Amino acid sequence: MIELLDKVDKPNVIENSCLLQGKEVLASSFTPDKKNHETIAKQAFNYVFLNVARMNAKHNEAHLEIGDKRLSGFILKPELVLVCMSDKACNIALVRDHVAEVKKLFLQEQVNRMLA
Amino acid sequence: MKDHKILFTGAVCAGKTTAIRSLSDIETLDTDAKASDVTVRRKKNTTIAMDYGVLELAQDSRVHLYGTPGQERFSFMWEMLANQFAHDAIGLVLLVDNTRKDPFRDVRFYVKEFGEYIRKRRLIIAVTHSDIEPNPGYNDYLACIRELGLMATVMFVDVRNPKTVLSIVEELISAVELEINWAEVGERILDHNGFSLDFYKPIYEETLLDAAMNKRGILGAMHLGAEQEVLSSNIDEQQSVALLKSMHKLSSAIAQKSELVGEVSNIVVGGPAVRTLSMFSDDDQALCLCSERDVSLPVLKQQASDLLQWSRENDYLA
Ligand SMILES: Nc1nc2c(ncn2[C@@H]2O[C@H](COP(=O)(O)OP(=O)(O)OP(=O)(O)O)[C@@H](O)[C@H]2O)c(=O)[nH]1
Ligand SMILES: [Mg+2]
Repeated sequence: MIELLDKVDKPNVIENSCLLQGKEVLASSFTPDKKNHETIAKQAFNYVFLNVARMNAKHNEAHLEIGDKRLSGFILKPELVLVCMSDKACNIALVRDHVAEVKKLFLQEQVNRMLA
Repeated sequence: MKDHKILFTGAVCAGKTTAIRSLSDIETLDTDAKASDVTVRRKKNTTIAMDYGVLELAQDSRVHLYGTPGQERFSFMWEMLANQFAHDAIGLVLLVDNTRKDPFRDVRFYVKEFGEYIRKRRLIIAVTHSDIEPNPGYNDYLACIRELGLMATVMFVDVRNPKTVLSIVEELISAVELEINWAEVGERILDHNGFSLDFYKPIYEETLLDAAMNKRGILGAMHLGAEQEVLSSNIDEQQSVALLKSMHKLSSAIAQKSELVGEVSNIVVGGPAVRTLSMFSDDDQALCLCSERDVSLPVLKQQASDLLQWSRENDYLA
């Protein structure tokens, strides 16, 4: 799964990423000096998507700007959230487009794992 | 009849409208001197065109008071006031809110904006809200204007008190009008039965929500206080309201923990078939917006900061 995260990270767009299942980090490319960001992302997106579900809302992505970074969370499938960290100045459309591309790969990987 | 003119300017909430109203309508005077910082920031109205009032000084003498709107998006009005309505004013009063993160930045900003104007007339820097935030103090302001190479008078005032606003007027007008009985004018202002101001009109004010609704793609807005209480809102959907409140709660929770990574400036949620919900936080308040899907985040950010005049970044001032 970490190999997939390598495909997520992209110079000048996505600096670090991780995959969340509930409170568990399944895989992460966050470097030790960025662990605080990972922790915040984990708690924040859990909270946000929990509220979204509780409200029966259909929102499936969330962005949080903190300091000079932007944390983006995308629901890949129920219970599975992809977190990407970018520079605040980075165009959010680039992040979105890139995530849409790798989303398919993730889902394929999930299917493969289930079949294995 | 001798007609004098004074132009008031300054950032949002500096007190321009209050100053001009103070001399006009004693009944709207807010006498609660203990208003907390939070209360002060929960201002509902912002001036969008200009303030205007007339104060009678003597039988044959009066002063016209003009105030600019604070928001930068109305800066075209500043020019109009400086070049037309108040082109022959005797002085400029720059109101500075001492609770701003960097009040000197405001001084530098307005001195630059009104550079040409100030060169030809007197400048008074009138510091407000010093009851809430006493620093920077008088000497700090003197140092600031010295550094900018300015000739200016610094006064600490509470514009809710008509007498202090009158002292500004006196400071400017007494140089050219020797015969005015200022004590008498002061008494008259404070006397309910003898309105000295014949005419007061905030030409047009709009609320934060109105201003939000005038922006492209915005479908609703909500203004929240520090405890997630709703200060004003026109978002009807309970689902959206609840989500936005939870986002504000989240940003407050993170703010308490994470000095290491910086402050949360905004949280946005979106999706393919939904309206975008966004929350922009400040120290003790937040602006929440409900917008069309196609409004981009940079545009939303720009709109929000324009609406609340938060993190205005004037690079050349930094
Ligand atoms: N505590 C305190 N409050 C003040 C002082 N001066 C003004 N205020 C309050 O600050 C607020 C200023 O609001 P306005 O007069 O509407 O500000 P403005 O400069 O016209 O703002 P815009 O029209 O939005 O540009 C009012 O609520 C005043 O009562 C002061 O010295 N101390
Ligand atoms: Mg005003």
